[in-house]
Amino acid sequence: MWLRNGQMETIDIQIKDPIVRNKVDGLIEDLKHGNILGSYQLAKNTVEVLLHMISKEELANVKKLISVIREQGQRLMSAQPSETVVGNMVYRVLKIIRDECRAIDETAEEQSQESIQKSSTAPGDDVSNKDILSLKKLLLAEGDVDISDKSISSLKAPIIDAVNELLVELDTSQENISAQALEHIHSNEVIMTAGQSHTVEAFFKKAAKKRTFKVIVVECAPFYQGQKMATNLASAGINTTLITDSAVFAMMARVNKVIIGTHTVMANGGLKAINGCHAIALAAKYHSVPLVVCAPMYKLSPKYLCSCDQVAFNKFASPEDVMSFSEGEILSKAQIYNPIFDYVPPELVTLYIFNIGGNAPSYVYRLLSELYDTEDQEL
Amino acid sequence: MNETDTLEYFETILKNDPEKSEAVAAIETLFHYIKLDDAETLHGFMENIQKASKWLEESDLSGAVTSISSGCQLFLRFITLAKDPENMESDIQKCKGILVKRGHDFLDKVKTLRKKISKLANPFITDGSTILVHSHSRVVLQVLKQAMQDKKRFTVYVTESNPDKSGHKMVNKLTDVGIPAILVLDSAMGYIMEKIDFVMVGAEGVMESGGIVNKIGTFTMAVCAKYLNKPVYVLAESFKFARLFPLSQEDVPNKFKYKASKLNDKVDLTKEHPNVDYTPPSLLTLLFTDLGILTPSAVSDELIKLYL
Repeated sequence: MWLRNGQMETIDIQIKDPIVRNKVDGLIEDLKHGNILGSYQLAKNTVEVLLHMISKEELANVKKLISVIREQGQRLMSAQPSETVVGNMVYRVLKIIRDECRAIDETAEEQSQESIQKSSTAPGDDVSNKDILSLKKLLLAEGDVDISDKSISSLKAPIIDAVNELLVELDTSQENISAQALEHIHSNEVIMTAGQSHTVEAFFKKAAKKRTFKVIVVECAPFYQGQKMATNLASAGINTTLITDSAVFAMMARVNKVIIGTHTVMANGGLKAINGCHAIALAAKYHSVPLVVCAPMYKLSPKYLCSCDQVAFNKFASPEDVMSFSEGEILSKAQIYNPIFDYVPPELVTLYIFNIGGNAPSYVYRLLSELYDTEDQEL
Repeated sequence: MNETDTLEYFETILKNDPEKSEAVAAIETLFHYIKLDDAETLHGFMENIQKASKWLEESDLSGAVTSISSGCQLFLRFITLAKDPENMESDIQKCKGILVKRGHDFLDKVKTLRKKISKLANPFITDGSTILVHSHSRVVLQVLKQAMQDKKRFTVYVTESNPDKSGHKMVNKLTDVGIPAILVLDSAMGYIMEKIDFVMVGAEGVMESGGIVNKIGTFTMAVCAKYLNKPVYVLAESFKFARLFPLSQEDVPNKFKYKASKLNDKVDLTKEHPNVDYTPPSLLTLLFTDLGILTPSAVSDELIKLYL
């Protein structure tokens, strides 16, 4: 594993270009203060900064490029650990770089192999598929492909192209998800949703162009994002009902489908969604109502929830909204928590609607192995 | 090398290094065997190896037949990957050379696998957690030891694990390194379940379905855990992946469930106690392997990558 060696060697991982450095620091600042709203903006900003880093930094080889991105990516991630999107994007970009290296490797190998094959065939060398990172690799005792000292000059253009493609994917993901709306929302259906999600909002609006249906919005105290959502939907001409969080179970009996957005899709297919979603998911399970989750691919995280470790997983906001500080006397006597997220286990989710189509939670692992490189995750 | 020599060699490997997995010992034995083998053609060579694998699988030397069998299966895969279709018959020496070299590299890598698994599983053992462990498992032991070295505080409940009472061995090993371990009856599994945070078990074999074959009682434990919504984590090295797809307990091959001596004596198996049971994937939460953390559905993908 050259990566670990790479960490031991003291490579210069500082950013030299002042503009790039400013951009990274600016993003970290924004992350810390929570200036960027919405995971789409976060993902986009992160990729843009990384793109700048790739194009502006003068680095000798790919190994250095990867270590710079890993190092800076680590800084970005630790600036706001609960925003998994930042990490996802860093991993995606690293995977792109590795893929481009391998692509060049393979074309070079194919050419050389063709010439070798004409002269002699060596037994045992028939397995040339390099990216099988698996049991087979263990068996064949193949080393990892060493991409470290590849020169960056020939790779820069394809890498930048691929990262730009990623940016396009980010831009179009919401559109691609809402394009599937008519497959899931049918006439006269009653649909429940919770909180506010731009993706789900676009999903409903798209469906409303062709079909009439009712939406029940759960308000999600204490931040009441649901109220905003209800206003938006109602002003778009959708038949909307707003209910309190405690009415979820009672209303579930008449609901045909629950469609929610999420903050993150975890590696096991579970959700890290807005507080209250677990209760909604359980109520849906009880009434056998399908729970559909709209999520763009950039929300797919390679991380697992470590045995209900709420401190690492959750984010706790000021309890002011739960009980106002003016009621000082009670405050000093009671513990008040205001968590932001809820973990929803994969067995409660019926379907994910990604921008590439619908998938079951058990298929998430497969998407993960396509999106991220296992080598990058052990940071 | 004849049957007794092979088995003796296998036995000494396990005796010299009790921490070694039976699957690895079996592979090591087979490598030793091919070094001494005098077959002239690849076909004969394959036949000899299959014979040797059979000896190992049918021996009563260790309880872990499942693990030995997946090790032997892997070994045969080594050979099919090494042989070249064009000069298959002619160049057996060359083929042997490749095999021996790969074998060395493989056995070198195998040593690091448990460390990898404990690195992956480590964050899941949080401070103050209570863990239920079944039977004796070397991977589980190593993971718990690692967590102990990282100064985590946790308690372990270990089931006695009849009929061989291997839980006693596990408790002794845990208390030796200072991990608070409590022995409980097998029948107290349900009772203890509400106290614990998660179940951690090893596996003798990981099946194609993503389910596991393990010491008898694992299935019971997983059912109890499911009822109380406790996660079940499985720790297994990837060489324990086997190409089997059992649909029920009945479907698990008899050679895994009963000792070879019993099978050879043709005793009435309905009156015998099985040594292992099959736990279906729906009862498992995650599998920690050297290939990464896998959901049960990801296992078949890995197997397809290897055997296709």
